[in-house]
Amino acid sequence: MSLIAWTLIIISQIALVAGQIFLKRAMSRREHGGEIARGWITTLVIGIATMTVWFLLWLGVMPHVELSKQMPFEGISPILIVLGAAVFLHERLNWQGWAGVGLTCVGVLLVSAS
Amino acid sequence: MGINKTKRRSVLPRKVDAFAYYSPFMHDKLPAAALPKPAPGLFWNPYVQIFFTVLLTAAAQILLKVGADHSASNNNSAWSWMGLTELASWWTWAGIFAFVASFGGWLYALRFLPLGLAFALTNGVHIFVPIGSWYFLGDHIGWLRASGILIIISGILLLAQSVAKVEEKV
Repeated sequence: MSLIAWTLIIISQIALVAGQIFLKRAMSRREHGGEIARGWITTLVIGIATMTVWFLLWLGVMPHVELSKQMPFEGISPILIVLGAAVFLHERLNWQGWAGVGLTCVGVLLVSAS
Repeated sequence: MGINKTKRRSVLPRKVDAFAYYSPFMHDKLPAAALPKPAPGLFWNPYVQIFFTVLLTAAAQILLKVGADHSASNNNSAWSWMGLTELASWWTWAGIFAFVASFGGWLYALRFLPLGLAFALTNGVHIFVPIGSWYFLGDHIGWLRASGILIIISGILLLAQSVAKVEEKV
């Protein structure tokens, strides 16, 4: 896999995590109401735009990379999201939650590999 | 008359996540009374909405596949490679509608659930797409895919169990 393909896949995964965090932040603001809710639509639009970047990069890379090499990144995306949510949203997971996310990742990898 | 300048600062408290009530993500920064609760009724339960999101996304994938096959069998022009001829099929539009509806459910669930948990639960799509493809499209499910589906199910059950434990504590 070329350096460009690696770079694009990494950027796409960053866009996926960032997009979901923006969406979550937008909905949190909306739910909170009052002063905090101001600007939630802007955050939502940024989230949708970032998710669009992820989608286009993910599709763009597909013809240039073997599927078996690209799919593991789909498998690890739940872990990346949990890590991103821990860093930027201060969410915490207990051991059962981590085990659940880990098992889900392994399962997605197997389904993708098949 | 002087202009009253106030220093602009973020209105979002740094350590607030108002959604711990429904999750295994531990927080103690916000009093329980301030935690948002969904409207009463099973339909408005965020976990039910996640389930709908998963079902609708899986349905969308299958409908788009049917739409693509349908248009491919009717059209061999260069446009067919750009994904535009698929728009001529009602199956494709049904798939697009299902995707949009699933996004609505996803945004609703994000109002009440932590992102990490909600995203992990949406992996249920990888259960329903192969099963739907097998049932409606006649796809084959090999042992590798079947074991992957079983592992995803056990992962989701573990997540559900951890949620139940936290809700018991609350």
